[in-house]
Amino acid sequence: MKEKVIGILEDLTGSQEIADNLDINLYDEGLLDSMATVQLLLELQSQCGVDVPVSEFERSEWDTPNKIIAKVESM
Amino acid sequence: MINLQPYENPMYFIYLFVALLPIIIAMLYGKKLHWYQTIISFVFLVLAFGGVKWHEGIALIAYIIFEMVLIGAYFYYRQKVNQTWVFCSAVVLAIIPLIIVKVTPAVYGHPSLIGFLGISYLTFKAVQMIMEIRDGAIKEFDPWLTLQFLLFFPTISSGPIDRYRRFKGDYERKPDPQKYLQLLDKGVWYIFLGFLYKFVLAYIFGTLLLPNVGKMALTYGGISWWLVAYMYVYSMDLFFDFAGYSLFAVGISYLMGIETPMNFNRPFCAWNIKEFWNRWHMTLSFWFRDYIYMRLVFFIMKKKLIKNRITIANVGYLTLFLIMGFWHGLTWYYIVYGLYHAVAIILCDVWLRYKKKHRSKIPSNRFTKLLAIFITFNVVCFSFLIFSGFLDTLFFHNIATLK
Amino acid sequence: MKMSKKLFLIFGPIIAAVILLLTLFFIPVSIQNISEGTIQRAALSQSPKVFRGMAVKKAAFSKNYVPFFGSSELSRMDSLHPAVLAQKYHRNYRPFLLGAPGTQSLVHYWGMKGIDDKLEGKKAVFIVSPQWFVKGGIAPVVFNYYYPKPEIVKWLLHAKNNRMNRYAAQRLLELSADHSSVESKGIARIAAGHPLSSFERTYLTLKSNALDREDQLFSTVSLNNRVQTISRNERFLPKAYNLKQLDKVAYTLGKEHTTNNQFKVDNRFWDKRLKHNYKKLAGKQKNYNYTDSVEFSDFQLVLNQFADKNMNALFIIPPVNERWSEYTGLSMPMLRNFVKKIKYQLNSQGFNNVVDLTDDGNKAYFMQDTIHLGWRGWLAADKYINPFLTKKQPKVSYKINNYFYSKKWQQSQSFTN
Repeated sequence: MKEKVIGILEDLTGSQEIADNLDINLYDEGLLDSMATVQLLLELQSQCGVDVPVSEFERSEWDTPNKIIAKVESM
Repeated sequence: MINLQPYENPMYFIYLFVALLPIIIAMLYGKKLHWYQTIISFVFLVLAFGGVKWHEGIALIAYIIFEMVLIGAYFYYRQKVNQTWVFCSAVVLAIIPLIIVKVTPAVYGHPSLIGFLGISYLTFKAVQMIMEIRDGAIKEFDPWLTLQFLLFFPTISSGPIDRYRRFKGDYERKPDPQKYLQLLDKGVWYIFLGFLYKFVLAYIFGTLLLPNVGKMALTYGGISWWLVAYMYVYSMDLFFDFAGYSLFAVGISYLMGIETPMNFNRPFCAWNIKEFWNRWHMTLSFWFRDYIYMRLVFFIMKKKLIKNRITIANVGYLTLFLIMGFWHGLTWYYIVYGLYHAVAIILCDVWLRYKKKHRSKIPSNRFTKLLAIFITFNVVCFSFLIFSGFLDTLFFHNIATLK
Repeated sequence: MKMSKKLFLIFGPIIAAVILLLTLFFIPVSIQNISEGTIQRAALSQSPKVFRGMAVKKAAFSKNYVPFFGSSELSRMDSLHPAVLAQKYHRNYRPFLLGAPGTQSLVHYWGMKGIDDKLEGKKAVFIVSPQWFVKGGIAPVVFNYYYPKPEIVKWLLHAKNNRMNRYAAQRLLELSADHSSVESKGIARIAAGHPLSSFERTYLTLKSNALDREDQLFSTVSLNNRVQTISRNERFLPKAYNLKQLDKVAYTLGKEHTTNNQFKVDNRFWDKRLKHNYKKLAGKQKNYNYTDSVEFSDFQLVLNQFADKNMNALFIIPPVNERWSEYTGLSMPMLRNFVKKIKYQLNSQGFNNVVDLTDDGNKAYFMQDTIHLGWRGWLAADKYINPFLTKKQPKVSYKINNYFYSKKWQQSQSFTN
């Protein structure tokens, strides 16, 4: 699951450095924006089978790769 | 009967402080006075919507009954079925009163009878609840808490726009005296910073400077240096007035143990227009981001209506800012203001993509950062000049040159 | 950290600030000494803060300053302006300019109410503009802009039940935008002929104290500085006061400044105020009427105040630029009727120092623009002002007639001596 999420994030951000730093703040660094967030949610749905409604998406809880992995694994 | 508009004059703060004193003391002892808070809220609502404004008070009551029934009905429906057309109808119904209030002056030339101060902000809250009910994020319907949320008096007239689930958490949590002390500290600081913003700086820009600069710009007519001065003075007035007001609302909320989100975060230090909207009237722009932009983009992508990512983003921006423009009012300058910002963000994205591709060739240092802030600031100030409606007066209704 | 200490850190500064502020506002002793320089600046500033304040005016009128009541003409500061002449020729008086665009009788009346004791037996110059006497008198927005709150509060505390006070209170109620404050409740009582309640009296006494303090602290902050303008204009004048030479100077200056338009108004005034819109104003003033106006009763308040304080005033009625009045169609017979009416009101009550300049509107460079005195006009006025203020005047005796407060007089068209 972890690899899958990292793979999705690397695709979306076009950055190969995600795996090196799993605590990087994706929004502050300009790697993710609202548009990419929606893509992330859609990819999580199709590739990992987790369904996250937009309402459940609270930026501060999803802003690093580690937090995203934890969220996905808890679902 | 007397009428007391929120945060209008120093006396209001004195009354408010006296009224809040029991709540503050109780919180310091780790207790919440929910019943007392309800009475206080009621009194201040009556003061704001009573007296000469009684007709607004009637409109508010009718509006609240309508939205409560709608939210409740949709909630019970949603527990059983989840059809898209019912959801869409509920959203449309929730915003119909606001649409009537916004359209009436443009069509009939007088304000609507069902309007009252703060109807926009209540509508944002109601729509938000309906959308979260649909998503299953709001799992129970508590009419009393919903009422407290919608009518939370420190923010009723102009926001900031809180979120239901966040508000619920703060409202129900048992207070921790040590943590409350920190809130109290911040709250008092925000209120006094608000005094500086609203009663000193906004007074200087808005009451002392703006009328004179405006008169000069009208006397000279057309494009003049006075118009440029007007643009900056108006922008400063707009910021300090609104940010001051928001600081009051947040500060008072803190005293009541509710951490209403901040509305401004040094917006004129933003280094691009996208960043600006993360710092200016934040609760509104986040509302538009979460409940319009992201949902629209989600819908378009899921249904694969448009393939190209960039096109989808741009369609999203145009929709968002056009709606924001119309929300401000049905005049050409509000709509142009919306379009202007949509175009600015689209161009900003073009630049960011270009920068990403040519990262090595574009210098990035303290000077380029300052330049970026400077450019953003001017782009924003120009948008406020459009927003002010002053160009409308200057070009189409200038008495100084038309008479 | 202990809770009490933390609370003290949060609220301590606020409590200290509140205590400081309250002491500053409510201690009933005067804190400030007003310097000669400040008075001079205030006298020339034409600032609303000065009009509605009392501290500077009191200080000025205890010295050799004389109130010059008027309106926008007072800002036409050319070399022949009364303030320049008084300074250049070291006269024993200095004008204190009480007037700016829109200040009419009511503003002047209230401007005197807070400084009663300093006006006893004083001389004054009063420039009466015919343009004030439109049907409704002063516009409410204008009055509220100059709203002399400190004076009104002070007056409320001392107002006896008489025709003057009832009329003044009535006008305040008509013009004021504020209807819920304690002041306006008090005003309504005076208008109805009732005394203030004891709560109102206590509240207003405290308020008056706070307003006094505000006035002393802030009314002289950041005033327009016109002192330089006056000195700059002095240099065109001959060393010794000589009417013939002065008239020549006035003529030359007038000629230099009125070169770009057919109405012979000041070039800058033309560029800024008339060039764009004068075409629309042709014939527009045909139906103007200055003989039917509530202003006549407002003016009566001023006269009543002058009489109460045994003041001796010189009244000057300025003309209208004839080129302009012919263009706009303003009726000269109507203007003469106005003069007759106002003169009747003045003379019948014992005000005999009246200078009527209405027929001088055709003299070259008499007016600086359409309705405001300038170069030669100021000099003409000075021929009366100078002797009036520098020489001893006979004792005054007035017979105030309350008829002039009536609607009947405001509308009256029959007024012969």
